[in-house]
Amino acid sequence: MDIRYTRNIGTISEDEQSALATKRVCVVGCGGLGGGVIEGLVRIGVGHLTVVDGDVFDETNLNRQVLSNEDNLGHPKAVEARLQMKTINSNVQIDSVQGLLTEENAAAIIAGHDLVVDALDNMEARLVLEDKCEEAGIPLVHGAIGGWQGQVTVVMPGDCILHQIYEDAEVDKSVKPTNPPFTPAVVSAIEVSEAVKVLLGREEALRGKVLTLDLLNHEYDVIEF
Amino acid sequence: MKVTIAMRGTLKKRYGTEERIVEVPEGTTCSQALEAIGIKYQEDKGFGFVSVNSMRCDIETELHDGDYLKAFSKVYGG
Repeated sequence: MDIRYTRNIGTISEDEQSALATKRVCVVGCGGLGGGVIEGLVRIGVGHLTVVDGDVFDETNLNRQVLSNEDNLGHPKAVEARLQMKTINSNVQIDSVQGLLTEENAAAIIAGHDLVVDALDNMEARLVLEDKCEEAGIPLVHGAIGGWQGQVTVVMPGDCILHQIYEDAEVDKSVKPTNPPFTPAVVSAIEVSEAVKVLLGREEALRGKVLTLDLLNHEYDVIEF
Repeated sequence: MKVTIAMRGTLKKRYGTEERIVEVPEGTTCSQALEAIGIKYQEDKGFGFVSVNSMRCDIETELHDGDYLKAFSKVYGG
């Protein structure tokens, strides 16, 4: 076993560490959530990642998006994710898709992966992603953030949880979206731990349950769906 | 019958941070219980979903004595 994984062992077994190296994960979104998710999956030693984002970094990302820095403003997020992660763990094969996930391209992007991680920033694309994961029979780890709040769940094929969460996908335009640095850090870390559990077949994953977090009031609910 | 109603996320800011124990008639739905305390969820685009006793349910689900209704705000950023 590669010495870099020494501190993983105990939390996961050596066999599980080896199993992670065979897994393929698609992370959709390389922003606030995506940066943390990608880094976590790369450091724990998932074998192959496909990272997807159609956006470039701008100055408003610097407060929270761990892949952004003053030198890469204007650079494509998906490309930066691949370049930066190769310096952390060159064992991981990383493909980048520079483009937005759409109804038309989603099936092709997620094909061949063991797991998809939702690090998107809008409801419409999430509903497309859930539909395409359902059609392809691929598990989906969902995370979302807003201000002090966050939520995480694991959607296995047949569960269709995001369509229940976002029954009405209308956006409240009277409220300006806010994104402090700490909420994506917490939620992306939980997404990584759920991703690892799903990849390893651990039963403790948040399947059929939505964890909601309110970091302001310290309220954490697990709701069964 | 008595039910407890609590807000979560940004709904706390709009509708109050404290949980409320309210007296409602038998057969009252989640929707009616929320309206009884002045929450017009249909007009609130930040309103997400509701749970009763930690189980997600439809807004028209009937409540029972002692139920704990929570209303969650929409969270969708990334």
